[in-house]
Formats: sequence, structure tokens, C-alpha cells
Amino acid sequence: MIRSDGCCSVRYIYRVLDRFGVVMKSKPWHWMLVHVVATVLLLASGASAQPGDSSYRASRTSDGNPDLNGIWQAIGSAHWDIEPHTARMGPVVELGAVGAIPAGLGVVEGGEIPYHPEALVTRNDNRDNWLERDPAVKCYMPGIPRATYMPFPFQIVQTPSAIMFAYEYTSSTRAVRMDRPGTEADLPSWMGYGLGRWEGETLVVDVTAQMPDTWFDSSGNFHSEELVVEERYTPISPNALLYEATIEDPKVFTRPWKISMPLYRRLEEDARILEFKCIPFAEEVMFGEWYRR
Amino acid sequence: MIARIKKLVVTTSIVVVTVAVATPTSAGQDQRTSWGDPDLRGRWDFRSSTPFQRPERFRDKEFLTAEEVAEYEAERAQAREDRIAGVNRDEYTESQSDVDVGYNAFFIDNGVKMSGTMRTSLIVDPPDGRLPAFTESGIQRARSRYETWGKAPATPADRPTSVRCITGFNSGPPMTPGAYNNIMEVFQTEDYVAIFTEMVNDHRIIPLDNSEHLSEDMRLWKGDSRGRWDGDTLVVVTKNFNEHTAHQMTSKDMVLTEKFSRTEGGLLYEYTVDDPSSHVAPWSTALEMVQTEDLVYEYACHEGNLAMMLMLRGARLQEEAGGGQATDAQEDQWLASWYRDAAAAVREDK
Repeated sequence: MIRSDGCCSVRYIYRVLDRFGVVMKSKPWHWMLVHVVATVLLLASGASAQPGDSSYRASRTSDGNPDLNGIWQAIGSAHWDIEPHTARMGPVVELGAVGAIPAGLGVVEGGEIPYHPEALVTRNDNRDNWLERDPAVKCYMPGIPRATYMPFPFQIVQTPSAIMFAYEYTSSTRAVRMDRPGTEADLPSWMGYGLGRWEGETLVVDVTAQMPDTWFDSSGNFHSEELVVEERYTPISPNALLYEATIEDPKVFTRPWKISMPLYRRLEEDARILEFKCIPFAEEVMFGEWYRR
Repeated sequence: MIARIKKLVVTTSIVVVTVAVATPTSAGQDQRTSWGDPDLRGRWDFRSSTPFQRPERFRDKEFLTAEEVAEYEAERAQAREDRIAGVNRDEYTESQSDVDVGYNAFFIDNGVKMSGTMRTSLIVDPPDGRLPAFTESGIQRARSRYETWGKAPATPADRPTSVRCITGFNSGPPMTPGAYNNIMEVFQTEDYVAIFTEMVNDHRIIPLDNSEHLSEDMRLWKGDSRGRWDGDTLVVVTKNFNEHTAHQMTSKDMVLTEKFSRTEGGLLYEYTVDDPSSHVAPWSTALEMVQTEDLVYEYACHEGNLAMMLMLRGARLQEEAGGGQATDAQEDQWLASWYRDAAAAVREDK
């Protein structure tokens, strides 16, 4: 199993080789080479298993890969704030206790996001101006990783060449491509350019080319256009996945950092993705000043 | 004479071959999933220059020959070139059709190729290739919608749902070729067929588990779909649309039945719209989608929807300038040019 951080991550190896001009992204066999090198280094380093490496072995799809098909949802308050936080009052007085923000232990490894000092100022400023600035207030697509832990289910529909992630929140959708290793996005997008691969039981997705406008939560935690996310989805039981995301953005953070949380299968017999088409809910707050009254 | 016969033979065989292309095939092994169902996976291009309704020039003619198809496509390609070059520019500026919502030929990507069905219209039933007449409530609904869309909007609710980016104008359901973004990707497992449409970056997940539709009071923008295999054809029934559903002015009572079948070169997509409250009879269309290696890009419609703000600001400025109300001439500018004929038809229908 290849670790998502430290010496033997695929991206790290890739960077080292890339620095010496050894690999080219346009050549799939170069990409394969990176994986081989990473595996060899990892075995040589005798690295121990990471948290996702429980002995659980997921059932297989007909093409032999771990079966991640299903409707999944995160539980908790990460969508409010990914850092540890106590409960606090919400900004809309009329909503009283139902509009208050629940406490959470946070999902960031080590607790705190390693912001550059000036970026931390921006984060705090974002937090003070939450309602004006949070893209989710406007019903914008949440981007990765936020889409994963919005308080809505999402469905994985898995095929060998591409995996569909269909999120209930604003019906946002992305296709993680399994058949285009080493390629780059033609354009930036809100849900990013996701390239997937299997590492044992884990689906690893490298997400690049995301718009700089998305946030990580409703507490002002933000990134720039240099954001790169490595997502890892590892089945840990028939009804749960471990979700890990390593976040890199040298413009905003001093080092890569990681979040992790379980994703739970929605077990209702009739579970399905419904519609949360939130544009009609956001129109007045966005355009109300130009309504005819 | 020999040359003519030769030409006839060649033409006939082209017709036979091309017609065969759009005929559902019993899916071969290479067109099946590993679990044995016909394989609908992949990215499908549903651009088509085949007219939705049969135009007057093809009256009483259901199919075109290969030569006629080529001629029609060449005409379309030429019209596109002309438009880019500004030939007959006055016509567009007068009708506003070149500036409506900021589109010009650059943005229009509806294709010049006709559907592989070689039909003269997408509508195959009624046999005249035209939509059946509206019912009385259908006329009322159409008239009221065009009236709303033809006026300065008080709020976004006065614009079509596609302008608000809630649904796409071509992504349905049902999918119907439109001005741009005519591409979808199909994902398929034993339990689900899922459709990812580029238009408004939306998805539709269709369970194949014989489950019941949602209760009638659960109304959705895209309706509630259930699928089943009928031989090698996927049949999807969608109902429970909400009152904003406006596909050809249908109502929330529309029941949509779609059929997806593999053909030799593509995917035959047929649908039937049954809504007794809007049209006097059900009607059906057929289109052959083409497999493509193009990617489905993200269409971040709402995220980039400056047009909504500009429309509302424009409307308020017009009112301000007119002492609280827009003039009739200004109001007339609000109905997009492509709705004008249909709007006129229901107005006259009084």
C-alpha cells in the first residue's frame, strides 16, 4: 500500500522524477513508472500500514475492483468548520437554536490548518464576513473536498473507465476518469479534474485545476487556484468508507495537510439521491436588490 | 444508362446501410457489459440538424435519401458560414436573433449533421412530424408562460428555468438537441443507469430495481425515473415533474417514456411524451446519438450567471427611465427571438 504522504507518495516521487526531467505527463508509461518506483521504495522502506489498511477486503465489481457503488454520507459538523470548534450561535437571530452551529472535534490531522500568516488573516476575515463570502450561501458547486462532507448524500456509480460522483447538493456532478492517467485539465472547474487509480483496496483520486472560489467549510477556510487534493476512498466495512484528503496549496498553506473522516452508507431500503436544487433558495440573497418590490 | 444504374445502386445501398445504422441491433458481444446487459456506457453526442418538427419543405416526406441528407447538411454548413461572415446581417439584427442573450454563431454548436435516422423531423409520431395540437389548458399554459417571459422580469422566477440555470434547455429529461452542450456520459452498473449531462452539470440516476415511483406529492425538477430492460432496450419512465416543467409547454402531469437501444454506430434514443393536459395526443421522437471521445466539460451555469443580475438591473433601469414602467417596445425585447413564432401562434389561437 502506497502512503498518501511522506517519502513514498506517488505525487512526491513524480515530483522528484519530474524535477530531473525523467517523466512526462503526456506519456502513460511514464506514469506507470512512477507507480512502480513508488511501490519499490515503499516496500524497501518497510512502511507500516496506514489507518485505511484494515484487514477488510471489499466485495468486487464484475471488473475485479473494490466495489464502492452506493449512496454515502458524512456525519458530523465538518461542513460548518473542519477545525475543532465548540457550538456557537448562528448569524440569523430569527432562527434561534435551530440556526445555531453544532460543535465538532474537527477533521484536520493535528487540529489546525497550517496557514501562512497573511492567509490566516484572510481566513479570519472570511469568517467575519461569512454570509457575504461563503460560496455555499450562493448555491455554488462546493468543489473537492467540501462536496464530500456537505450534509447531503452522494452516490458513486462505478465503471472501469470512469466513476461518477453524483452529489445531492445542487445536483453537482463529476466524472473521475480512470482511463486518462497523466493527463492535465483543459480548463479549470468548480469540481476539479479528477484522475483516479486503484491502490489495493483504495480508490485514489488526484484532483487538480479547481476554481479558487470554493471553500472548505462555512468558517472561511479557503484555498487558491494552486490547490491540489489527493483523495483516498478505502472501504473499512461493508457500510463504511474511510475518506482521506491531502491538501496542498503552497500559496496559502505552509505544508500539505490532511483531513479524514468515515463516510457511511445510507442503509434505508429506498435510499436515493433526491434534488437539492438550491438556486431558487439563493436567488433573493444574490439578486434581491434588483427585484421589483 | 449503366452509370445511372450504378449510381442508383450505390445510392440505394447507402440508404440501406445508413437506415440500418439507426435500427436497434441485437447487441453483439462487444456491445454487452460483463454481466450481459447491452452496454450503454460512454459519452454520447446528441447534436443534430434534423428539425424538431417537420418543415413545410419536407411535407409528406418521412425519410430523406443519402443525397438529400448531404444536400441539407451542406445547406446548414453554408448557413453557419454565412452567419459568421455576416451575410444577411440585417435579418439577424432586426430579429435580434444574433444578439439575444449574447449569443452569436461562435457559441452555437448544434451540429450540421442530421440524425442517422435520416428522418425529416425528430418527431416520428404523429406521422406528419408535427406536434399535436395543444389542448385548451395547454394553450393557456403556453400563453401565460410566453407572456411572462415577454416582460421585464420582476424576479428570476419570471425567466425560464434554463435561464436561472436550474435545468438545461436541452438536457431534459428528455434530451433534445439544442444550441450547445449536446453531450452526455452514461454510467452503468447492474443496478443503475446514470446519465451525466454537460448542460448545467446535472445527473439523473435511474434505478433498475423495479421499485415504485415516489409518491405523487414528491415533485422534482427532473422528475422521478425508473428503468427496466425490455429485451435489448432500456425503457425509462419518468413522472412526478414539478409545475415548472416546460418541455414543449407540458405540465407537471407529463409522463415521459424513453427508450435507449444500441445501434451499429450509436445509440438510438426515442421518447414519448404523454400529457393529456397539454397536447391532444401523445407524441414521440427518435434521434441517433453518436459515440464520442470528447469529454463532458463542467458547465458552471449558475456560478457564472452574470446575465441574471444584468437582466434584473436592466429591467429596473428601463422602469426608472419610463417613470415606473417599461414601454411596450421595451417589453417586446424580452422574449428571446427563438420563442417568437411559437408565442405568436398561441396568441392567435385565442
